[in-house]
Amino acid sequence: MFGGGAAPILVLSQNTKRDSGRKVQLENIAAGKAIADVIRTCLGPQAMLKMLMDPSGGIVMTNDGNAILREITVQHPAGKSMIEIARTQDEEVGDGTTSVIVLAGEMLGVAEQFLTQQMHPTVIIRAYRQALEDAVTLLQDNISIALDLNDRVKLLEVIKSCVGTKFIGRWSDLACSIALDAVKTVMLEENGHREIDIKRYAKVEKVPGGSIEESSVLRGVMVSKDVTHPKMRRYIKNPRIVLLDCTLEYKKGESQTNVEILKESDFTRILQLEEEHIQKICEEVIAVKPDVVFTEKGVSDLAQHFLLKAGITAIRRVRKTDNNRIARACGATIVNRTEELKEEDVGTGAGLFEIRKLGDEYFCFITECKNPKACTILLRGASKDMLNEAERNLQDALHVARNILIEPKLVPGGGAVEMAVAQMLAEKGKTVQGIGQWPYRAVAEALEIIPRTLIQNCGANTVRTLTALRAKHATGGKTWGINGETGELADMCALGIWEPLSVKLQTYKTAVETAILLLRIDDIVSGSKKKDKEGETRTAQPTEESVKE
Amino acid sequence: MAACSIANIVKSSLGPVGLDKMLVDDIGDVTVTNDGATILRLLEVEHPAARVLVELAQLQDEEVGDGTTSVVIVAAELLKNADELVKQKIHPTSIISGYRLACKEACKYIQEHLTVSVEELGRECLVNVAKTSMSSKLIGPDADFFSNMVVDAAHAVKFSDGKGGFTYPVKAVNVLKAHGRSARESVLVAGYALNCTVASQAMPKRISNAKIACLDFSLQKAKMKLGVKVLITDPEKLEGIRQRESDMTKERIQKILAAGANVILCTGGIDDLCLKYFVEAGAMAVRRCKKADAKRIAIATGAAFLPSLSNMEGEDSFDANSIGEAAEVVQEVVCDDELILIKGPKARTASSIILRGPNDFYCDEMERSIHDALCVVKRVLESKSVVAGGGSVEAALSVYLENFATSLSSREQLAIAEFARSLLVIPKTLAVNAAQDATDLVAKLRAYHNSSQTKVDHAHFKWVGLDLHEGIVRDNRKAGVLEPAVSKIKSLKFATEAAITILRIDDMIRLDPEQKDKSYRDAYESGEL
Repeated sequence: MFGGGAAPILVLSQNTKRDSGRKVQLENIAAGKAIADVIRTCLGPQAMLKMLMDPSGGIVMTNDGNAILREITVQHPAGKSMIEIARTQDEEVGDGTTSVIVLAGEMLGVAEQFLTQQMHPTVIIRAYRQALEDAVTLLQDNISIALDLNDRVKLLEVIKSCVGTKFIGRWSDLACSIALDAVKTVMLEENGHREIDIKRYAKVEKVPGGSIEESSVLRGVMVSKDVTHPKMRRYIKNPRIVLLDCTLEYKKGESQTNVEILKESDFTRILQLEEEHIQKICEEVIAVKPDVVFTEKGVSDLAQHFLLKAGITAIRRVRKTDNNRIARACGATIVNRTEELKEEDVGTGAGLFEIRKLGDEYFCFITECKNPKACTILLRGASKDMLNEAERNLQDALHVARNILIEPKLVPGGGAVEMAVAQMLAEKGKTVQGIGQWPYRAVAEALEIIPRTLIQNCGANTVRTLTALRAKHATGGKTWGINGETGELADMCALGIWEPLSVKLQTYKTAVETAILLLRIDDIVSGSKKKDKEGETRTAQPTEESVKE
Repeated sequence: MAACSIANIVKSSLGPVGLDKMLVDDIGDVTVTNDGATILRLLEVEHPAARVLVELAQLQDEEVGDGTTSVVIVAAELLKNADELVKQKIHPTSIISGYRLACKEACKYIQEHLTVSVEELGRECLVNVAKTSMSSKLIGPDADFFSNMVVDAAHAVKFSDGKGGFTYPVKAVNVLKAHGRSARESVLVAGYALNCTVASQAMPKRISNAKIACLDFSLQKAKMKLGVKVLITDPEKLEGIRQRESDMTKERIQKILAAGANVILCTGGIDDLCLKYFVEAGAMAVRRCKKADAKRIAIATGAAFLPSLSNMEGEDSFDANSIGEAAEVVQEVVCDDELILIKGPKARTASSIILRGPNDFYCDEMERSIHDALCVVKRVLESKSVVAGGGSVEAALSVYLENFATSLSSREQLAIAEFARSLLVIPKTLAVNAAQDATDLVAKLRAYHNSSQTKVDHAHFKWVGLDLHEGIVRDNRKAGVLEPAVSKIKSLKFATEAAITILRIDDMIRLDPEQKDKSYRDAYESGEL
């Protein structure tokens, strides 16, 4: 097909470029597979961590597919597009980054044999598309199980199967309840539309020291700030909170203002004005009788003095995002101009304001909120690297929790669902017309890579176990999969390994579509090649002109 | 030769079974595409004659939007055949006049005999046209889905030009990309999608019966421009100035809100201190939205796009008339991002397509394909005539022109015959890309067209074209492989013109950039002295 010489008359002169058509495709496949091989061992409960060192000497320890691939610099363009999909998966559903890469690599791998058999890529692509569609409908209609959202035990089970493969798997009970509580806290129901914004309202704060068991979800918010003046109160019950995003300092006007002083008394008057201004602001704040004032900007010494006299605790230079979270947690409105402070703007939802010392630093806790719509997850752990990995894992867990709450449908995990889909696709493949049948069935074969890798990673006998699993599925054991700990067959229903449907769907779609994208390419023109070609045309050019004369 | 090598590059991307190119630039950014114009643009061609072809593809892209690959291939083939003639000692000018004549005849023949009017075929025809354009692209397998989407989008932006005709501004269809999900989950939004978020999280995420104000200035603390200084002698007044600064914006906002606006789109910034007023009024304020977006929204919702609030008297005012209306404005989470959707604008319909795909390359390529398809649909809607695709027109023209050539007794005869032969490159390339027997298929195709033109009762054979999946010839009009007639005619014309331009050249002088080292030496010497 591609320069294979199948076409008897090629009117145009054939140059070497077209000959590289199939080579490019095989290269792309190889690149895809190479990427998949890098992170293959990170799949499943027996997964190993990777330690990555960047040029500056920083260390990342993780088994999160996306985090690993992000750190690797890849030269090959096809490899780059593989890495992109891990990111997409991470952004869209937050979990399953490793499996999407492994699956996409395998999808490319199974296409290789067809290319060498001179099958046209578009035929393969068509079959892949068809298979994807069938797989998606199968997942949605036949395999998935609806879940009752009030069933906390079941919910925890699902999150557990996600967390189980990770570093924090040892503290999975704790991690699961943290994730579930956090997500339930930030969930907002708005006319039938569920909104869960983890990025904004569930903040993970890492504090080195202590042990992981001490991690918790706060019913409120924590910021790593101390009071501005040491004499201010550090423990207030039922505080009235005022949030400001302006300074409590004297601020010049935006326009350039020059003051010409003619008299000496004018000079003191100006200084006095500045002080009066601060005093005025403070009085306005004091007028609403708050106990705590948070501001995003600075607080001058003078203002501190006034506030202290009124028995108000002030916290300065709070981040905008933190301020927003506090606003959601205690029901306050962020105010910009102090003269506009009103009674409604004061937040009274919080039950306790407290400054606590963790390790070497002071942290400000606003907890025991009545109806918090934002929360902070406090992570403790021995080292920073460990905390980073724990945070990544927790993010995955949070996303899983969110996905289930948004779309409460489950599929069995542990490779069971892949096996079931593969089985059904293989069955369906027999009815597909034409040569598309083989690539169609290849998709089914490729899906088996997930259970196969799981088996491999726990060191069991791949061939035997996989055959046994296939037999199990053929006799109707739809929910049987691999027990990732032991490498034996197990009923996923009994073992309680579940995964959210949305993650699985996204994995399949992304993997197959990427394979399609890469298979369609028959030519790579890169920066270096560009120059070669131009050299070619330049040498060819004088002959052309001379011919015309 | 240069032209041929260019054509060779894009050749394999032609047709429904054409493949894609992956282009990597110096930085390492990857583009995966099937669009001829895009490929050539990214190639940075240096050779002047080849440049002409690249520009040709660009021109086709601007004029028609589709058929960029085929125009390059035809032009290159024309050149190659002309070269043969030159070797036979025929002067380029007679070739040129032959090509001109052939092109004119060909266009005439297309218009008279090969077009089908859209009215005959209805909506289905539009969908088919879009499908044909997409079939060669990445989204080919999903063509059914996308073609309907594109046709709907094109209909949504239909706009009467006041003279009974309609225009379909393709630019009014806003295409947004977001990775995640699958291509199938791309959606068409009846309204306008804006890639912005509300300025403050405390603002409502959904407003029905929205009243929209589009502002083209910043709602920031007033500030004197260009270093104007304010001189104060009385220190008491210092405070007054500061006060005034904050109040000015506040008053402006109050005016806007008082006019009833509850969605404010601002191309400039909005100060944090102003957000509170919007929050209190329950309004959505969007900062830093793109000017082009804001303008289009203004048109769609019937709002006035205000560059400032001052009226003729120099006073600040906000007229209730300049508020646009929409049924609903919602902020939705797509992937990790947030989009603002303006649904059901009152004044004119608008449409946006949100594309989803596994990664950026995929989305980019989808965007290009959608754009091509939109352009094609637009052409068909405007010109109301289509031709059969799949090499059918080319084959018909080739047969016709050959017959026409034999009727001439002048020197041009040879040139016209070559022109006819060149056109066959399209069905040939199509067949080669599909790994079919090109000779056999093209011969069959020509036979059909020959009989359709000679025998009256075989006239329906003129729709016959290639079916590349099965490798047979069939009636492409029935099969729904259609292309806009404008696209075909224009691409023929452009290709001929480009070929002629290059043919006329008999000498090339390359101006090397002036040697710099002399002036450098001067400077060096003077510096030393």
